[in-house]
Amino acid sequence: MEAIFYIAAIVAVLATVLTVTRLNPVHALLYLTVSLLAVAVVFYTLGAPFMAALEVVIYAGAIMVLFVFVVMLLNLGRHTVDLERSWLSPGAFVGPAILAAILVGEVSYLLARSGTLTPPVAEVGPHQVALALYGPYLLGVELASFLLLGALVGAYHVGSRRAQGRTTVGSRSDRTGLASGGDLVRTGADRPSGAA
Amino acid sequence: MSSADFTALLPLIVLSATSVVVMLAIAFHRNHRLTVLLSFAGLALSFWALWPAASVVPLQVTPLLVIDRFSLYYFGLIFAATAAIVLMSYGYLERHDVRREEFYILVLVAALGCCVLVAADHFISFFLGLEILSVTLYALSAYLTEREISLEAGMKYLVLAAASAAFLLFGMALVYASTGTMAFPQIANDLLSGGAAHIWVLAGVAFMVTGFGFKLAVVPFHLWTPDVYQGAPAPVTALVASISKGAMFAVLLRFFYQSGARDLHSTLLIFAIIAIASMIVGNLLALFQNNVKRILAYSSIAHLGYLLVAFEAGGKMGAAAGTFYLTAYVITTLGAFGVIAALSSSGRDAEDIEDYRGLFWRRPVIATIFTAMLFSLAGIPLTAGFLGKFYTVAAGASSALWSMIFVLVVASVIGVFYYLRVVIAIFATENVPSDAERPLPAVHAVGGATLLALAVVLIWLGVFPHPVLDAIHKAVSGLF
Repeated sequence: MEAIFYIAAIVAVLATVLTVTRLNPVHALLYLTVSLLAVAVVFYTLGAPFMAALEVVIYAGAIMVLFVFVVMLLNLGRHTVDLERSWLSPGAFVGPAILAAILVGEVSYLLARSGTLTPPVAEVGPHQVALALYGPYLLGVELASFLLLGALVGAYHVGSRRAQGRTTVGSRSDRTGLASGGDLVRTGADRPSGAA
Repeated sequence: MSSADFTALLPLIVLSATSVVVMLAIAFHRNHRLTVLLSFAGLALSFWALWPAASVVPLQVTPLLVIDRFSLYYFGLIFAATAAIVLMSYGYLERHDVRREEFYILVLVAALGCCVLVAADHFISFFLGLEILSVTLYALSAYLTEREISLEAGMKYLVLAAASAAFLLFGMALVYASTGTMAFPQIANDLLSGGAAHIWVLAGVAFMVTGFGFKLAVVPFHLWTPDVYQGAPAPVTALVASISKGAMFAVLLRFFYQSGARDLHSTLLIFAIIAIASMIVGNLLALFQNNVKRILAYSSIAHLGYLLVAFEAGGKMGAAAGTFYLTAYVITTLGAFGVIAALSSSGRDAEDIEDYRGLFWRRPVIATIFTAMLFSLAGIPLTAGFLGKFYTVAAGASSALWSMIFVLVVASVIGVFYYLRVVIAIFATENVPSDAERPLPAVHAVGGATLLALAVVLIWLGVFPHPVLDAIHKAVSGLF
């Protein structure tokens, strides 16, 4: 069990480092998916099968799909279709596939030996998680809902098209800045007042 | 949860309910004035709820939050400061062509995050409070989406705050891994019984110091401060500078006092280095700025350094001196950024030092208020800032922190120079621009009244601090 933990942990670290260092967003997302799956295996070996399932369903499933959708939806036009094709060249899959294969090997080993391996600590099932969340940590759940409220209102405001103001879309062209394209974010160097 | 628990949480419940009510009100009837009224009424009601809560404290409400006099004092400070921010935002946002109403939901949720931070005595509530605060601050910094510099501020804050939260989380994980608990008082049991601190605890505390240091914007974690201060809308800068840092300082006191991590020799050494570096670097960099927002940003770095001197002094006296200093600092920064907000036009904030040239001859009242705020920041007698510095030095002296006091005094002298630069510009008689050259917006009545009230409190606290000091002494006794 310990060996499985360490292998999965190494895979997670490797995949995360590769996620951070990839310049291409789609390649980074592939590695991020592998990293999340590896963390799920780590959770399982630590006696938290419920957390492992959640990790796969929520992170590797729902959130990653959302990421991929956004990346794909943002890029429109002929040029980007070609670009995407080049991103998804077979070579790009080799790294994530190898790491994922290691995880598959681990999981199939665990399945084959099911029942004979005991986790080093007591298992925490959905029952205990639910009792903890709605017992002592009830306030934590409520606070998390306010975290989401703040994030939702913030994203709604910053992301909304009408955030440009009560002017119509047509009058946006006379504004400098956003409409003129280029970088949204100026670096510190060309501030008028001079950055320290 | 018993009824006493609900009574103790009443201020937080009222505040949360206010943000929901404001959101629903916006959904049904979008009206700026109504939103401001509702937000202010909710904050006033939360403030009132402190008295019922005070009758049941100290009380541990679930493992996550502890409501004691220390929490209640900081709740009061946060509610009052948020109310001032709401009022000064009214006139500021009226001039801007954006959706104005959501601003107040975000401010209320940010205040909730601050309250959770000061009441947290558990890693989970600490982190949740911090994230509630950070997430709303990202959106608030970028609130004026038509300004590139505002978007830049939001983006910068997002990236750096996320990275620092990762450090904090990793530190918490290390402390948890070696002590097996996430509640601050229980960490102390483990730390004190174990004799020499375990290397993992030390590493964990070091990571946590990084997270604290970022939020407090102390050297060497200060690089985001001037850019975010400059880019964020002036009322948001007031929020970042006042209650965000205030709540972080409160949780710093609570964590390091209650978990026993303050008794580690290396913690004190790290904070001594950070405090001295912040005082020197903050003041020196402020000398070279021509932008008032950036001057205040660098000065805030220095002020947090002074605050850490009180933290270093330790004991009841250090905690009380730090809390008083913070109270004075919150009032002063609110006033200073309130003046900037009041004088800002729709295109840009009044942040250039030239914007203030000869202000006294054009707008005498607001110029006098700004001067009072700057004198308080410089620590000139009769203002709250002077007394704050006085108590901090006294606390430092009682713990024989002579080298830090020496740096504090020298740094304060340097500080006077750049505050006076702004004051001299305000009172300059030469080259005073006419209204045609540099038009000044009319000061909004609500914002003006708020500023006047802040100035009165500032002077009142400077000459007659005893009621507040008594409250603070009662409050900090809850930490021990």
